[in-house]
Amino acid sequence: MSSPFDALRDQLLGAAEALGDGPAALPEILAGMVDDVDHALREPLEIFPVCHHSPASALAMVRRLREKQPKVIYLELCEDLTPLLTELRNCRLPVALQAFASELDGFPVESAPLSVIAPITEGSAEYQAIAYALETPGVELVLVDRSTDHVFQWQPGPSAEPGTEAPEEDLHGDAVGLEIGDLRPRFAELEEHLLHHGRVRHWSEWWDQYVEQPLAGADHDTYRQVMVLIGSLFRRLAPHDTARWDSDEDRERYMWTRIREHLATSGVDRADCMYVCGAFHAASRLAEVGSADGTPDFAITPRTGTKWLYGLIPSSHSAIEAQFGLAPGSVSIAAATWQKSLTKTRLTPFELAGQKGNRKKTRKALPPPAAGTAPADQLTGYLSGPPVLDGLDEEELRGWCVDIVRLARRSGYLASTADAIAIFETSILLAGLRGRARPTPYDFSDAAVTCIEKDVVPGRRDVRRLCEILLGGDRVGQVGYDALPPLARDVHDRLAPLGLNLEQRTIQRALLDLAAKPELAPCSQLLWMLRYLLPDQAVRPVIGSRRLGEKHLQESWDLDLGRHQRAVIELGYEGVTVEQVLEQRLRRAAWDPKATAAVALKAVEDSLLFLASPRLTDELGSRAVELLSTERTVDDAPVVLRRIRRLLAHYRSTAPALPGWCERFVTEGYAHYCTLLPTAFVDDEAGVRQVGAMLGFLFSMESLALSLGCDRTQLELAVIQSHPESPAKVALLWAARHQLGALPMPELRTRIDELLANPLVVPAFPQYVSGFVQALEPVPRLAPFVVETLSKAFARLPDPVLLPWLPTLITTLRDQAAELVPVLTREAGRTFPGTLAALDDWTPPWNARRVMPSAAGGAFAFLADQPATTDAVAELLGCPGDWPPPEPAGAAAPATLLTDFPETAAAVEVMLAGAGPTIRSTLLG
Amino acid sequence: MSDMLRAPAEIKYADELDWLESIDDGPKPYSWRLSPKMVRLFILGSERADGLDRDVEQKWYGDRSFVERSIVTLASDRGLLLIGDPGTGKSWLAELLSAAISRNSTLVVQGTAGTTEDHIKYSWNVSMVIAKGQSRASMIPSPIMTAMEGGVIGRFEELTRSTSDVQDALISILSEKYVSIPELDTDNIVFAKPGFSIIATANSRDRGVNDLSSALKRRFNFVRIPVVTNKKSEAEIVRFRTEELLRRHNIELEVPPTLLDVLLQSFADLRAAAGAAGSDDEKLESALSTAEQIGVLEDAILHSNFFGATALNAETLAGSLVGSLARRSPEDLAILNKYWHGVVEPRSKENGGEWTGFLEGGRQAIATLS
Repeated sequence: MSSPFDALRDQLLGAAEALGDGPAALPEILAGMVDDVDHALREPLEIFPVCHHSPASALAMVRRLREKQPKVIYLELCEDLTPLLTELRNCRLPVALQAFASELDGFPVESAPLSVIAPITEGSAEYQAIAYALETPGVELVLVDRSTDHVFQWQPGPSAEPGTEAPEEDLHGDAVGLEIGDLRPRFAELEEHLLHHGRVRHWSEWWDQYVEQPLAGADHDTYRQVMVLIGSLFRRLAPHDTARWDSDEDRERYMWTRIREHLATSGVDRADCMYVCGAFHAASRLAEVGSADGTPDFAITPRTGTKWLYGLIPSSHSAIEAQFGLAPGSVSIAAATWQKSLTKTRLTPFELAGQKGNRKKTRKALPPPAAGTAPADQLTGYLSGPPVLDGLDEEELRGWCVDIVRLARRSGYLASTADAIAIFETSILLAGLRGRARPTPYDFSDAAVTCIEKDVVPGRRDVRRLCEILLGGDRVGQVGYDALPPLARDVHDRLAPLGLNLEQRTIQRALLDLAAKPELAPCSQLLWMLRYLLPDQAVRPVIGSRRLGEKHLQESWDLDLGRHQRAVIELGYEGVTVEQVLEQRLRRAAWDPKATAAVALKAVEDSLLFLASPRLTDELGSRAVELLSTERTVDDAPVVLRRIRRLLAHYRSTAPALPGWCERFVTEGYAHYCTLLPTAFVDDEAGVRQVGAMLGFLFSMESLALSLGCDRTQLELAVIQSHPESPAKVALLWAARHQLGALPMPELRTRIDELLANPLVVPAFPQYVSGFVQALEPVPRLAPFVVETLSKAFARLPDPVLLPWLPTLITTLRDQAAELVPVLTREAGRTFPGTLAALDDWTPPWNARRVMPSAAGGAFAFLADQPATTDAVAELLGCPGDWPPPEPAGAAAPATLLTDFPETAAAVEVMLAGAGPTIRSTLLG
Repeated sequence: MSDMLRAPAEIKYADELDWLESIDDGPKPYSWRLSPKMVRLFILGSERADGLDRDVEQKWYGDRSFVERSIVTLASDRGLLLIGDPGTGKSWLAELLSAAISRNSTLVVQGTAGTTEDHIKYSWNVSMVIAKGQSRASMIPSPIMTAMEGGVIGRFEELTRSTSDVQDALISILSEKYVSIPELDTDNIVFAKPGFSIIATANSRDRGVNDLSSALKRRFNFVRIPVVTNKKSEAEIVRFRTEELLRRHNIELEVPPTLLDVLLQSFADLRAAAGAAGSDDEKLESALSTAEQIGVLEDAILHSNFFGATALNAETLAGSLVGSLARRSPEDLAILNKYWHGVVEPRSKENGGEWTGFLEGGRQAIATLS
C-alpha cells in the first residue's frame, strides 16, 4: 500500500546508510518514526497530539475544532474527574483539578492522604477542547484515562518528599501531578544533546525555538505530523525497561479500551470524534491501540475501596513549573505567547461562559465544518530547513527593556535608562551570537542579568526573577465561590458580616468591636477556630487572644484567606463544617497513640475555647484521666499541673459544680503522683521541676482530693518513702516535710545554717537553693524562707562558689521558674528596706527574731496563768503533763523596759480602760 | 621547546587563532580580530556539527552562557567584571577572551594594596624628565593606557584588592574613554581607539575589603563564575590541565585515566566529609578546589618524571595527595588517616585496581609525616 511518506522514508533510509558508522538501530528508528506518523494518520478516529503548556498546540486545537467541529472528544484525563470540569466556569485559571483521599482502603495507611492534581491553564489545548465541548450543544466530552485510584494502584510506592519550595510554588502541596501531553526526552543524554546543539539552556527554550515557533502558524496537517513525529522520536529513544514505560503503555491500552467501549455504546461515527492525547501516546503502535473492531481489550482492574473526594484548588504558573520541573518562567512565557498569537492570528479562543477574568463578549456561531482532505507529506518541508523564526520586534523588546529597568529600580537596583539601552543592545548581540534574528525572552533575560545584576541582590528578588515577572508574571488562579466545597462556602458566608473581600490575594485587616457590635461574636469564634486549623499565616490575630476566662471587647485580625484557598478547600475534604473538622482534630489528638495526659488536657481546653460542647469536653476529659493513670513518666507533670489548675479555676468560676471527669482527674492524679513520688525523687531522669510540679499537684489539690475521698496518709507515706540524693531534690523533700508539719521552720533553718557552716557541702549549696526555689510551687508560704536562704547564700557563700553559680541561677529561674520570680521579688521587696538610708539600720528579720523570745515567754506565762483550757486539751489528747516553773528572766525583761519607759504603757492602759482585767494583766505583766 | 616558561594564550594558540581568523566571515565589532561566534568557538571548542576542517579544543570549561554574556559585554560599551571564588578560572577566561579578541592578553594590571593610580594611567621616566623635560617620550604609559591607544582589551586582575580611590580612576576611563595628561601642554589627551575594553576579575571571597563604588559598578557588567561541582566537567578540566603540563615540561609520562578517577573520587569524598564536619578541626584546611586537585596531580607527575618512572602510579599520587593536603599536624593527618582507613581501605578491598596502590602509598606517606 503506498503512503504519502514513502519518499521521505526512502530519503531517511538513504541518510542512515550514508552515516555508515552510526548505530545499527538508526535505519530502524528513522524509518520507524515515519511509519508511526503514517500509522497515526491512518487511524479513522482522528488523533490530535498535544504538548503541555504549548501555545502552538492550543492554537492548532482552536483551528481544528472550528474546522472539524467533532461531536465527541476523548481526552487524556482521569475519567473520574469528569464532574469537576463544569465547575471550571466558576474559577479563574490556572486552577488544578484535585482528587483527595484520606480514608484509605487498599493502599498502605502510611501513605495517606493521597492527592492527585491536574492543573489547567488557559492557553492549553486541553482547556480549548474542554471549553468547546462544554459550550457547544450536542458535543460530548469523554475523559478516558485511568482513574485517580489507578494512578496510585500503578505507582510503585509512596514518593512524597517533604518540599522546601517558596510559598507561591507550594500551591499544590505534595500532590502527585498529572499532565496532558508530557513531552520531553526520557533520558538525560538525549536532552543534553538537544540542548547542546540547539545552543539553549532549558528544555522549554529548545522546544520554543524548534517546535513551538515553527508550528505556531502551521496548518493542521503539518502540526499533526510534526507532533506525532516528535512523539515517536522520544518514544523510540525512551528507556523501555522502566515502570514508567509500562505504566504509559497500560494507559494507552486503557484509553483505547474506554474509547472503543464508548463508540460501541453510543454508536457515534468515528469520523465525528477526536481523541486528544499527548504526542507521546499518539505515536503508540501497541496491539490494543486503535478504534477498529476486534482490537483486543485491556483488562481494567477494579478500583480499591478508597473513598475519593474531588475539588478544585487554585494553581499558579510557578506551582506548575515547580511541580513538573519546567524552567522558571516558562509557563508564564507560554501564556504571554498565547495571548500574543491570538492577537496576531485574530483567532477567537473557546472560553467557558461565566468564567472569571475573561472578557465579556458575544459569541459568534461557528462556521460550518470543512470537509477533510487526504493527508499529504508535510514533514519533509519541516525537517529539511532550519526553523523559520519571526523577525525582530523592536517595539516589544524596547518595552521589555524599559519595564525591566523600572522593575529593577523598584526592587532596589541602581538601574537607569543607560541600563535599558545596554540591555537592548546586549539582547540583540546575544541573539546574534546564538544565531537568532530575534532575541527570545531567554536572551532578553540573560542580557538583563548581565547588565543589571551586580555582586549583591539588594532586595527580595534578583533580576532573573524580575524578568519572569515581567514576561508574563506569575498568574495565580482562584476557585470561585460556587465551585468551593460546602465548608469553604460556609466559611465565606459566616465571615460575610465582616464586609471584607476574602477572595482578594492581599492581607485584609478585620476590626471587630465586639462591645459595639455583638453580632460579630460568631465571626470572632470562627476566626479562632480557623486560627487553630489553618496554617499560621492564613488568619492571624493582631489584637486579642483566646484563653480561658478572658473576654475581649475588641479584636483585630489579619486575614489572608485568598492566598490560602487551598488550605481552606482541603479542610473541606475533612468535614462539612469547621466545627466538625475541629472536633475530629481534637479527638485525633487525644486518641493518638503517642498522646499524653497533657495533650488530652490541651484538647479539653481547646474544646472549651472553640466548641461549646460539654459532651465532647467530657469525653476528652475522661480520656485525659485514662491517659494519666497509664503514664509511667512524670515528664509532663509541670504542664499537667498548669493546665488542670487553669481548668479547675475555669469551672469553679463558671459552673456550680465540677464536672465528673475533673473530680476523677484530681483523685486519680493524687493517687498516681503519690505512687510515683518515691521513684521520681531518686530517678535521675525526673528533674527537680517535674518533682516540684508533682508536689504542687499533691499539695494544691489536696483539699479537693481529700474531700473527694482520698487519704492523706498515702501522701505522708510517699514522702516518708522518698530518699533523694541530689541536693536540689533533698531541698524539695524538706519543703514537702515542712508542709506536712514534719519539719518545723526552726529545724529547717538550722539545717540550712549547718550546710553553710560545712565547707565540704558549701559547693553544693546553690543546688539546695534551686530546690527551694522550685519548692515555691508546692509550698508557696515558704517564700520568706527562700528569700532568707538566698540572702544567706549571697552573704556567706565564698566568691568562687557564688560567682559561677549566679548566671546559672538567673537562667534557671528564667527558664524553669519564670512564674515564681514575681513571688520572690515581692517577698524580697517586703523583707528588704526600700531606701538606702534605711539599709544602715536594718536588721534582717531572721536575725532579729532570735532576740525576741519574749513573745513565746509571754504566751507561756499567759497559758500558765490560765491553765484550765490547756489542761483540758491535753487531757482530751491523752498527753498529761506538768507545768514547769515560769522563767523569771523572760518575764522580768519587758517589765524592766516598761518601768523605764512608762508613757506607752500608760497610754495603752487609758485606751484599754474598758477592756477586761485578764487582757490588761496580760499586756502589763 | 618554547623559551617561555608559560606562553600567553595568543602565542600558545597562535596557529589556531590564525586559522580561525582566515576562515572567519562573520561581522566583527570594532577592531576585533575574530567575530563573536569565532571567539566563542575558540574558547569553548568545536564540535562535529560546526563542520570545520580542523578540531578546535575546548579551553575553558563552564556554562556556555557565561562565555556568551562575556563576549557581548565586550562588544558593548561596558567593561566586563568576572567575579567568583578562587580557582574558578576567571583569569584564564579573561586571558582567552583578550587573546581571541585582540591577540594580546598581556596588558595586565595586577591589583594589590600597593597599586596606585600611576599603574592605571601613566607614570614618568624620572631621568628622562630631568634630561628632556616632560613629553610623551618621557611618559611611561600603563598597560591600560597602552590598550586604549591600541584599541585592544586591557586586563585588571583582582580589582577589589586595590584601594577604592585607585579603582575609581577607572571610572573616567570607562565612561569618557580618554585619559588626559595635564602635565603636558600639547598632545595631552590619550583617546581610546575602538575595540578598547577592560576585563577585570574579582574574588568574591574578598568582598567587603575594598568594595566597588556604585559609579564603577555601573560601568561594569558582572558575570559570576560559579565553582565547578559537576564531576564530568571537573574531570575534563583536570585532564586538560594535565596534558598542558606534560606538554609544557616536555614530559613523556603515561597518566592512566583510572588514576584520574581515583583522584577525582578521593577529592569528592573529602569534600563530602568536609561538608559533614561539625567544626574546623574536623575538616581539612585545604579548600579542596579543582586547582588544588591539579596541584596534587602536577606534583605527582613531576615526582614520577624526575625520579625515574615511566608511568604515574597510584603510590606516588597518594603520597602527593597526602603531602599537599596535610598542612596541619596532627589535625589534617588525623583526618587523612581516618579517610584512608575508613574509605580507601574498604574500597581497595572491594574494587582493587589502582585503589590498592593508592592505599599503600597513602599509608606510607601518612606514616612518614606522623
